[in-house]
Amino acid sequence: METIFVLLPLALLVAAIAVGFFVWAARTGQFDDLETPAVRILFDGEEPRPSAAGPGRTPGEPVAPVAGSPIPAHPTRRVSE
Amino acid sequence: MIAPRPPASIGPPAAPAAPATCAHCGLTVPPTLVRAGEARQFCCSGCRQVHTLVHEWGFDQYYRLVEQQRGALEPARVSGRGFDDFDDRREQADATDTVGVGRCRTQFYLEGVHCAACVWLVEKLPAVLRGVDEVRLNLGSGVAEITWRPEDTRLSAIARGLDRLGYTPHLHRRSRAQEARRREDRAALARLGVAVACAMNLMFMHGALYAGDYSGMASPYEMLFRRLSLIVAIPVLLFSARPFFQTAIAGLRARMVHIDLPIAMAIAAAFAASAWNAVRGSGPLWFDSLAMLVAALLGARQVQRGAQRAALERADSLRGVAFLEFARRIDGDGPEAPVVEVPLAALAPGDRVEVRSGELVPVDGVVISGASSLDNAVLTGEAAAQPVREGDAVNAGATNLGARLVVRVEATGERTRVGALLAVVQDALSRKPALLKATDRLARRFVQGLLGLAVVTGLAWLPAGPVVALERVVALLVVACPCALGLSIPLAVSVALMRAARAGIFVKDPDAFDRLRRVDTVLLDKTGTLTAGRATVARWHGDERVLQLARALEAESSHAVARAFREAPGRGLWMVRSVSEVVEVPGQGISGRLDGHHVRVGNMAHVEAGAAAPDEACARAAGAFVEEGLSPVLVAVDGRVAGVAGIGDALRPDAAATVARLRAAGIHVRILSGDHPAVVSRVGARLGLAPEDALGGLTPEQKKRLVEDLTGRAGRRGAVVMVGDGVNDAAALALADVGIAVHGGKGATIVAADIVLTREGVAPLLEIINGARRLRAVVRRNLGFSLAYNLVASAAAMAGLVGPLAAALLMPVSSLTVVLSSALTRTFARPARAETHRAEA
Repeated sequence: METIFVLLPLALLVAAIAVGFFVWAARTGQFDDLETPAVRILFDGEEPRPSAAGPGRTPGEPVAPVAGSPIPAHPTRRVSE
Repeated sequence: MIAPRPPASIGPPAAPAAPATCAHCGLTVPPTLVRAGEARQFCCSGCRQVHTLVHEWGFDQYYRLVEQQRGALEPARVSGRGFDDFDDRREQADATDTVGVGRCRTQFYLEGVHCAACVWLVEKLPAVLRGVDEVRLNLGSGVAEITWRPEDTRLSAIARGLDRLGYTPHLHRRSRAQEARRREDRAALARLGVAVACAMNLMFMHGALYAGDYSGMASPYEMLFRRLSLIVAIPVLLFSARPFFQTAIAGLRARMVHIDLPIAMAIAAAFAASAWNAVRGSGPLWFDSLAMLVAALLGARQVQRGAQRAALERADSLRGVAFLEFARRIDGDGPEAPVVEVPLAALAPGDRVEVRSGELVPVDGVVISGASSLDNAVLTGEAAAQPVREGDAVNAGATNLGARLVVRVEATGERTRVGALLAVVQDALSRKPALLKATDRLARRFVQGLLGLAVVTGLAWLPAGPVVALERVVALLVVACPCALGLSIPLAVSVALMRAARAGIFVKDPDAFDRLRRVDTVLLDKTGTLTAGRATVARWHGDERVLQLARALEAESSHAVARAFREAPGRGLWMVRSVSEVVEVPGQGISGRLDGHHVRVGNMAHVEAGAAAPDEACARAAGAFVEEGLSPVLVAVDGRVAGVAGIGDALRPDAAATVARLRAAGIHVRILSGDHPAVVSRVGARLGLAPEDALGGLTPEQKKRLVEDLTGRAGRRGAVVMVGDGVNDAAALALADVGIAVHGGKGATIVAADIVLTREGVAPLLEIINGARRLRAVVRRNLGFSLAYNLVASAAAMAGLVGPLAAALLMPVSSLTVVLSSALTRTFARPARAETHRAEA
């Protein structure tokens, strides 16, 4: 029975570590947004498939439009609103 | 009336193909925009642009996600701005933090974020834009956090990318107060977590001690459990319970008794007595009750915070966005002079700025070239567009409905009329008087009674020895702690908040419910509140097919009347295949050849130029429309007047019934409008209001003063509710007892109001008032429960019948009663048709 003198403080210590992590997570804002992560997790692992019109881009290749350059307009863009 | 005509003469014979839907947003494509032979159809140029870019960047999966998520049907809007002003260091400063070496994190508020697919698309940005490391989008608030490298890209390039995906970005500046509140939110969660963890452990250790009381426990073990529970209880007292002590002390300093004072007293008494007993090794311990109490109260507050979150986040994201952000400055002379987008702070009086069609005028100034019409509704409440030409003064905040204007700058920022108005709103918000809450009045009596009882108990038990007397007093303080009282109100309120949010009513300030139950005056804005706030085809006389023809023809024009026609109800069953020979006569109307028919749409003069005079029925309809305050627009097909449309800012369909029911409930309803008095009195008459209750021609300052006069009257008992949508209502909303911003309200009104509607119309007003009354009944019932419990428990404690175990069992039971009573009440009913939209920015 004397083991309780070691085990009980030890159990409380483990609990304190867990609570410490929770406080850290709360303080660093990890519970700020409870809505988006719930939907974001659904996307993980789904890679976009290269489209037919895309210039044959493969996942590893450096990405297409260079920052600062105007994004190319589509040739069929002539709708009047 | 039009002679019966076989449908074949206008459209394809019967059974037309199912109307095409937009490949981007899923809305029905107007017949004239359908392109034969194309696989994908679009409802507008914005959708086409966005779809093209999404496809080009290889993000077609977005559309599969939209389908899965059943994303909202909303046409994409692309502002086409250059965002050069975002590259200005001073502009960026408030929205940007530096993280690590050579990396920045900037916050944008994005327009048009509606579902999970948007999160996917926006967060894919790093894959296509160089220099963007990470994007995190918050779906609730629409605020995106973008980590980028200034040496590889510029903020304007990122902003253009977002804009072209249909999410117009705005720099999101956070004020110091918002930062503080955010930190407070996070700390509250940490406090709750610590309290719950400690309460669980304390319950377990106290369980062992209670068991020991019955079956005997060797004293070294008992001492271990006693000392360890003291250690575990310390964080609850010092960390979790801190807010109760802070508010109690702050209340005492201000000579007010806050509901937290008796709670703090109970916690302090229980802890002090238990700590003493834990150290000396005998006597009762109250640690478990104390920790449970703190955890339950913090939990209830957290629930309320969560229920308020939706409304507060939206207001916060809008508060960070400036109403006017940039101007297109013309540098140099001549027609080829370059136009740069600059922040407003960079403008000086005398500069020339360009205002394109559909944009807001960024400054107060004078038109130096161009002619157009301006929509001043946001500023003045005037429904009709105001024509402007060279030499006319224009105000910041007006929308340019027509052609491009060049304006000479006279004042910017706070020195403009709208700037001064927004400053008034800020001022009014900061000075809103804090009303003494019902709970605080109750708390004062409670504390007085409790202190009296404590003295009586102490004196009565003194003959049994000071230790016993002290123990009885502590027991009284612990069991009489108004725990259920502290729980009952936040829980009842948060259930009401959540139910209201589901009905499209977002409540930012729950105290508004308390003020609402005494409501005796409702002040309504007209333009945008009682009416839709824009010209629509309010009435139509003639054949449905003729309306379709007029709509197809007006699709070629950008005039305000044309927009009304395009938005006219009715399904596009009769496809118009060809539109040609379109001629628009400014100020008169438009004509063209549609599928072989000659169609003219416009005023009397325009239609008579190419058609016979209208027959008696049409003329009578036109006359009736004028009576109703609408402008008649005639439609002639092949030389005969075949239909008349009544165009105007018509009353919302639910306005008359809502006003009637408010008045039946004994509430004084008045209209405060900036529109012309004649228009306002006509609207007032149609709603059955007395002429002196339909006030027109009011400036925003006059509206504000009227509300101040009503709320500032000495000895008044009733509350004043203001309902509005424009910047001109914002100051009045902030000063009224309860301000309600209707659906489609501007950012400033959403920030100023206590309650924001995300459902069209004014009918939710009735639900709010009834909901507040029902909430009041729930709160009363809960107060009854908890006071009855406190009375019985106090009596038992005074008689010396309550020990720690009894308290630990009794307290959760009383709390549970209150929780059930709150959860089971229907304060707000779910609307029959769940028409809840996200509020537009």
